[in-house]
Amino acid sequence: MRAQMPRAPRAVQARRTIVLAAAIAIAAAGCSSSSSSSSTTGTSTSTATSTATSTASAPASTSAVSTSQCGTKPGAAATGTPIALGAIVTNQPGTSFTDIPNMANAYFACVNANGGINGHPIKLYIETEQTNPAQIAADAKQLVQTDHVVGIVGNTSIIECSVDSSYWQKLGYDIIDSGIAPECYSTPNSAAVNMGPRYSSDGAVQYALSQHVNKIVFDQSNVPGTGYIAAGPAALAKAANVPIVQLTENVPISDADSVAIKEVDDAGPNGAVVLNFTPPEALVILQAAQKLGLEDRVKLWGCSTPCNTDFLAQSLGPKWNNKLFVNAELLPPDVTNTTTMNLYKAILKQYGSAVSGGIGSFSQMGFTEAEIAVHALDSVTGAYTVQSVNAAFQAVSNFNTGMLCQLWSYGSYSLHIPNNDDSTVTPDNGKMVTAQGCTQISSVDPQIAQYRSLAGTAAAAPAS
Amino acid sequence: MPPWSDFEPFIVSGLALGGVYALSGVGLVVLYRATGVLYLAFGAVGAMGALIAWSLGRENVPGWLTWLVCIAAAAVITLGYGLIFGPALAKRDPLVKAVATIGLTLILYGLMDLLWTSSGGQARSESLPTDNGGFSIGQIQVDWTQVIALAAGVVITVGTGVFLRYTKLGTAMRAMANDREITATLGVPVRKVEAAAWLGCGVLAGVAGLLLADLAALDATTLTFLVISSLAAVLIARLRSITLTFAAAILIGLLHDLLTPITALSNYQNMTPFVLAAAGLLVMSRRRVMTQSREEA
Amino acid sequence: MGADLGLRSTAGRQTSRRRPGRPQLIRAAVITVLLLFVLFGFPQLLSLYYIDTMTQVAVYSMVTLALGVLVGRVGLVSLGQVAVLAIGAWVAARLLFATAQPYPVILLEAGLITMVAGMVTGLPALRLRGLYLALITLMLAGAITVVLATVNFPNGGHGFLGYNGSLVHIPPIRRPSVAGSDPAYFRYAVIVAILMFLLVLAHTKTKPGRAWAAIRQSEPAALAAGINTTLYKLWALALASFITGVAGGVLAGAVHYLYSIGFPTQDSITLLAVTLMGGVYSMWGAVVAALLYQFLPALLNNWGVSADWLTILFGLGVLQVLTTAPAGLADQVPKDLARLARLLSRLLSRLLGRRTPAPGKTT
Repeated sequence: MRAQMPRAPRAVQARRTIVLAAAIAIAAAGCSSSSSSSSTTGTSTSTATSTATSTASAPASTSAVSTSQCGTKPGAAATGTPIALGAIVTNQPGTSFTDIPNMANAYFACVNANGGINGHPIKLYIETEQTNPAQIAADAKQLVQTDHVVGIVGNTSIIECSVDSSYWQKLGYDIIDSGIAPECYSTPNSAAVNMGPRYSSDGAVQYALSQHVNKIVFDQSNVPGTGYIAAGPAALAKAANVPIVQLTENVPISDADSVAIKEVDDAGPNGAVVLNFTPPEALVILQAAQKLGLEDRVKLWGCSTPCNTDFLAQSLGPKWNNKLFVNAELLPPDVTNTTTMNLYKAILKQYGSAVSGGIGSFSQMGFTEAEIAVHALDSVTGAYTVQSVNAAFQAVSNFNTGMLCQLWSYGSYSLHIPNNDDSTVTPDNGKMVTAQGCTQISSVDPQIAQYRSLAGTAAAAPAS
Repeated sequence: MPPWSDFEPFIVSGLALGGVYALSGVGLVVLYRATGVLYLAFGAVGAMGALIAWSLGRENVPGWLTWLVCIAAAAVITLGYGLIFGPALAKRDPLVKAVATIGLTLILYGLMDLLWTSSGGQARSESLPTDNGGFSIGQIQVDWTQVIALAAGVVITVGTGVFLRYTKLGTAMRAMANDREITATLGVPVRKVEAAAWLGCGVLAGVAGLLLADLAALDATTLTFLVISSLAAVLIARLRSITLTFAAAILIGLLHDLLTPITALSNYQNMTPFVLAAAGLLVMSRRRVMTQSREEA
Repeated sequence: MGADLGLRSTAGRQTSRRRPGRPQLIRAAVITVLLLFVLFGFPQLLSLYYIDTMTQVAVYSMVTLALGVLVGRVGLVSLGQVAVLAIGAWVAARLLFATAQPYPVILLEAGLITMVAGMVTGLPALRLRGLYLALITLMLAGAITVVLATVNFPNGGHGFLGYNGSLVHIPPIRRPSVAGSDPAYFRYAVIVAILMFLLVLAHTKTKPGRAWAAIRQSEPAALAAGINTTLYKLWALALASFITGVAGGVLAGAVHYLYSIGFPTQDSITLLAVTLMGGVYSMWGAVVAALLYQFLPALLNNWGVSADWLTILFGLGVLQVLTTAPAGLADQVPKDLARLARLLSRLLSRLLGRRTPAPGKTT
């Protein structure tokens, strides 16, 4: 006999109905709205030094570039059977890379409006994940089995490469991605347009070493792969006979003061502190260092490529001009006045409403990946199948993306680090400006050495 | 063991961190004393207010106005919650009331990530004018915001202690937190007192949110779940003594930072609040069973 | 007064041994048919994406079951269940890499070791009640999370911790030889879950169940009645930890790769929210909670709806459960549906024939 539940009085029932109705309304609203975000670009409330607008001002020549240049038949909308591509991207509170596939999608939209791939439009299926391995594996299967994608372009995830790499290998997908996890750079089936945390940190450490510091403190966020990432800077420091201190911090950081003090103490007055964090965390550390008056207590500060955003430059004050040196794995949009860069800005403006970060390395990466994919797809004759499309991806060789220091190749090697040449930038009153031009990452890093022994050293990209 | 001079700078930063924990912790205990609710949404409400202030600041609204809006927003949300769900849960166990505030936390947390997304690699930061001044202790600079945070903690501790004990409204609040029905029969205007308590809640949360957004980070996740670490101080004070909460929070912050130079332990320093709370509670409960019943307000 | 969530229980029903009556047999038959459909029908009907999702539902239904035992049957609110799951997964992963033992043995070991860990940390905490107990579980979970972030999950390395930080290729955690493919592993997970549910059933229908019901109603009264409350509370803690540990083992095999960032403290809060929403009294509540926790996000992800809407929904759900629907969805939805059905039938009869008077009183 069940114990009788008391009948809820009227007022309570009404309240229950309200709460339920609210829940349903919210769910319905959620279903009807696409996951669009309010376009926020981050300037801090107190920065008065920079009068620059929050997105980098576009050079006048942007208007001269028509977006129709992205496709082969300007103005002709593609109407054939779509070519399905897929992407898996991390999107959780505090970490969201959705700008990258969203920009790729913008590029595809432009191509679709201007001839498509031989008349076929590209349809990009984007799966978001919250760093849950089961979810990531399921997303991969969804893309392959339900959405029938023939290629993967635009993956950007903290752990997806680790979780799915054997799956992709088994099925024969050659991925074009923006890598983070070790497997993005150490497996035959993934080639990234960016350098990833390890090689970008290599670049930052390399620059610090070139300035003759006598000690390096390398601090990174405690996300998967810290050992793998740390091995690069360790090798570089060892080869230069400079001691290196390896630190990790749990993110999100709630006590930036002690982090900054610790780093500065360990580095010493002629040392360098090199950070590998996402922009918000790096900003918190650097601002704490400034508040405590510590920024001049070391010779220089370095940061891997996530710091390369105008948001950061604006949020930090002028004290960091020529004090903070950030590795830039893509050509800086503010000072590069090439056709491709202007095309990127134009496409972003016209088709990139879902790209909330505006001009910056995230959308640049998305653009580059889409560019490579379209270039490869244009070379496919016959049907667009998993075999033909991925063979085309793998055959990409010495392609000038217009966004990188070097020409980009996929190839059939056992590992891929095609972007291994980068520049260094420093904040200058609210913008990032070049401090050192394109420089190769040293082969002292064993993985770089291994890749170069297989693939050789790519030629520098001519400005286009 | 590193030499003493290595520890010195961390004393200052530890006090600052302790100030951060104290602000949250004292706020929580004050609210508990006044309403009987452990307001776990304290951090989330403050974060929401701070984010609203940030958004307004980008639209060139003057700073002082954004702070007022932040505090007002926090007050409105808290008052709304208190008026809608306070009476419904008034007779329930403090545990139930605390779990209900978890509901509010989740709602706010989801809303914040929807409205202020983290895509595009944005770095939001909140700066107060008091950041740009200060003084140095030894080699470390202390800025006025940190001093204000500590001072705010002290003021709230002393002020609300006095308020709750010596004023009529404060006594009414304590009585209501203890037993709402009996207090009502004694002729206390229960709804008004309740509203006042929740309003005070909200204002505190707003002020704390603004300060913490400056001192810690303007990030929804950090600010929302900072309460978990502040709960340690609250637990050590057994949810009763505001002064003890303040002292415990300072101690936790100090200890946390002082562990930094000790390389063997520095990886585990984030455990400090949890270990201290667990140890403190277990030590205090060894003689008797600890119940949190309505009688222990 | 103990940490009674104020929720009336259905556990006070008759538990004396009687021959099962017809309704009970029918219910058992329906459940068996349902389970057979899940085991054999799902792999045929669902895509791999949903099979993977359902495997997660099976895993987390064990966790919500354990949490339901603690919260619903004994009144102990745990805000740290995800940390216990992480311990179970850690132990299972370590053993799977280090030994070649058969899977069921490893699951058992993971469950037992987690059980011991749960009891050791839980026993001193049992002197606390209500809010204190809930908060201390949160503190312990926070501590475990920090340790995990430093120690990391085993990834095939050597030493006690089994973690090699500089690996360029991380080996996957193995699955049982009979259940390597996703559909097969799904069946394996469901079977393990069924076993755990039967384990809990065995407890609730017998002496521990009665003791727990008495403790939740009023601990002093239970003490006065001669029940060894500490023993039974410890027993509940042991059972819950064991089940969660086993769930951790199944999780390890399901995901192949484990990361400490996958077990944040705030997940324990969400888990409590969905367990309350699902209903802490019935076993169905555990399944509903797991569906909310794993299936709903997967569904919304597929439709392109942000996961944040779910967070908001769970927050609303907690508020709703605590204020108006104490026994959760598992209890409330059938009632609401019944009420809806009555409403519709009245409407229908009124529409169809003014001659037949509307039924005056609802049962």
